Amino acid sequence: MRARIPFALTALTAGLLSAGQAAANDPTVLTMYYPVAVGGTLTDVVDDLVEEFESEHPDIDVEAIYAGNYDDTRVRAMSAIAAGDTPQLSVLFSIDLYELIEQNAIVAFDDLVETDEEREWLDSFYPGLMENGQLDGKTYGIPFQRSTIVLFWNKDAFEAAGLDPETPPENWQQMADMAATVREASNGEQWGVMVPSTGYPYWMFQAFAFQNGHRLMSDDGTEVYFNDPAAIEALEYWVSLATEHEAMPSGTIEWGTLRQNFLEQSTAMMWHTTGNLTAVRSDAAFDFGVAMLPMSTQRGSPTGGGNFYIFEDTTEEEQRAAMTFIRWMTAPERAAAWSIETGYMGVSPAAYETDALQRYVEEFPPAAVARDQLEHGTAELSTYQGGRIRRALDNAVQAALTGQLSPEEALNQAQQEADSVLRRYAR
Amino acid sequence: MSSTLSHSKTHPPRARFFSVPSLETIAAWLLALIWIFPLLYAFWAAFHPSEFMVSFTLFAPLTLENFADAWGQAPFARYYLNTFMLVTTVVLAQFIVCTLAAFAFARFPIPGKNVLFMLVLIQLFVFPEVLIVENYRIASELGLINTITGIGLPYVASAFGIFLLRQTFKTIPRELEDAARIEGCNWLEILWKVYVPLAKPTYLAYGLVSISHHWNNFLWPLVVTNSVESRPLTVGLGVFSAPETGVNWATVSAATLLSIAPLLIAFLLFQRQFVQSFLRAGIR
Repeated sequence: MRARIPFALTALTAGLLSAGQAAANDPTVLTMYYPVAVGGTLTDVVDDLVEEFESEHPDIDVEAIYAGNYDDTRVRAMSAIAAGDTPQLSVLFSIDLYELIEQNAIVAFDDLVETDEEREWLDSFYPGLMENGQLDGKTYGIPFQRSTIVLFWNKDAFEAAGLDPETPPENWQQMADMAATVREASNGEQWGVMVPSTGYPYWMFQAFAFQNGHRLMSDDGTEVYFNDPAAIEALEYWVSLATEHEAMPSGTIEWGTLRQNFLEQSTAMMWHTTGNLTAVRSDAAFDFGVAMLPMSTQRGSPTGGGNFYIFEDTTEEEQRAAMTFIRWMTAPERAAAWSIETGYMGVSPAAYETDALQRYVEEFPPAAVARDQLEHGTAELSTYQGGRIRRALDNAVQAALTGQLSPEEALNQAQQEADSVLRRYAR
Repeated sequence: MSSTLSHSKTHPPRARFFSVPSLETIAAWLLALIWIFPLLYAFWAAFHPSEFMVSFTLFAPLTLENFADAWGQAPFARYYLNTFMLVTTVVLAQFIVCTLAAFAFARFPIPGKNVLFMLVLIQLFVFPEVLIVENYRIASELGLINTITGIGLPYVASAFGIFLLRQTFKTIPRELEDAARIEGCNWLEILWKVYVPLAKPTYLAYGLVSISHHWNNFLWPLVVTNSVESRPLTVGLGVFSAPETGVNWATVSAATLLSIAPLLIAFLLFQRQFVQSFLRAGIR
């Protein structure tokens, strides 16, 4: 018995050694968690893409794991990291950046790129989409499934109300007037405009504020400016659509059912994400148009959606392989196909120059609106302790819309709350 | 009963025809309606084309297309199997572990028993989501990621089950146990032949709560599984939620009905037994 133990040990060691050698020849295995934020069979689309990638890169194996919505996916990735099963890459909410950095979970792409070609790739995206992935001059997130807010309008309803069906509102005043006209012409049957105020109220409010020339946060995510006069004015305008112009239902408007409301023509205009484009297109029984959001002093919409991140605690070889995969996924042809399939934006100018996307845009011009609006894009509200900050702003917006507080009171309160949360991050 | 009788006597006979339902009855009806409304809406939505979702035209054309859609978008057959296996293993394991633990807490003279029992009860105060990261770490060390065992394991030692069974065991007269001992039973036989049969209603009630909980559990199964082979129905259902664009209510309702159907049918069939067992198992 005694003699056998060393033998067993040697056998085991030999086995381990040979396993180690075998691993060197095996393909690099990457694990990726990704969320699905628009409905349908996107998991199949992702699986197909991964398969295609693997056949082109036999030395890399990608295991793509659907992990729920953005929040679920973050929980999943964080649990795996805490357990030491760190994934090599993931698609997570673009605004999770600060949390990921605070946990030292992710690496900057600037530290991974080596060749000029790779550096060029890193610079190939729309700057508006990069803002949420950058901090202190370094890039941590590569845009993948990204969207902005656009205005959808029902041309038939405009015509019925005696408005020019081809002219969407250019500015706030016009939008309020047109919406009120529709409301009157339909004898109260149809609302003029709906801006959703559940789900992501802060996102919509950011659009209003930015159109009024105001950014709600600092670049380094340590300060917010919710109660600036320009922000208060923006919220007052939003509230006035219901109270003063009587063109929007009072109270909150449900994010999840707004598309159905628009499709059933209970509103002539809606503000919603570009992610809805494909669905509205296939289900609308009327003529509709898509336009940039109206302006007060300037055009503007925040961006939204998910970025690719590469995680710390993985070997350099794995990180390089992960980058190869991300480069492949964001290459113009794939970005174009992904955009057509989902309604998300093509993430780089080159994507819009591909034949596929050019043809699509020609046949369906609304697809280009999001791209054109990008030039007026701003980063989505993203700060340290982002969840609490957004909650504070969400509550303020809803309190104002339901008439519990005046816009000024509501935003002052949100500012106070945010200040106390962010105090310890002051630089 | 007697109070209502004497009550009606003091009023003229006509009052019998106008018997106003008591406040409790009204409240019960109101609550029942509020509770059942989402289910009714899901039923309605699942059988009608998606164009009618918001306008709620009660007599919109009927269709089964939503079910076909939903069925086509996810491998439901596999999910059914996974959920079924998960629920059965969890409930069986819970019965075994909780029975033994509850018996020990109820009858064995262990020093510091009450303190230990309090420690077990503390589990009831911990919100399970808080433990996800830690549970994941343990599951990962045990190599149970992406397995049905991994989904079920954290729930096996259920404080609620132990508590419920201990309370029931305590109400069973010692005389029965003594009689069994005189017949020559050891403790395991006493447990199996005296305690378990007498606690049947509790098992049924607890089993029902546990089954419906694990049937509906979402976040932990999502976090701990990777692939269709181990994911339960609820996680499969998650593909239909679309936080960014708004949901297609018709398909979601159809998919929801598909996933709750077995549980719902079972409840309707065994309703009487379920309710009775809850009444009998009332915590004393």
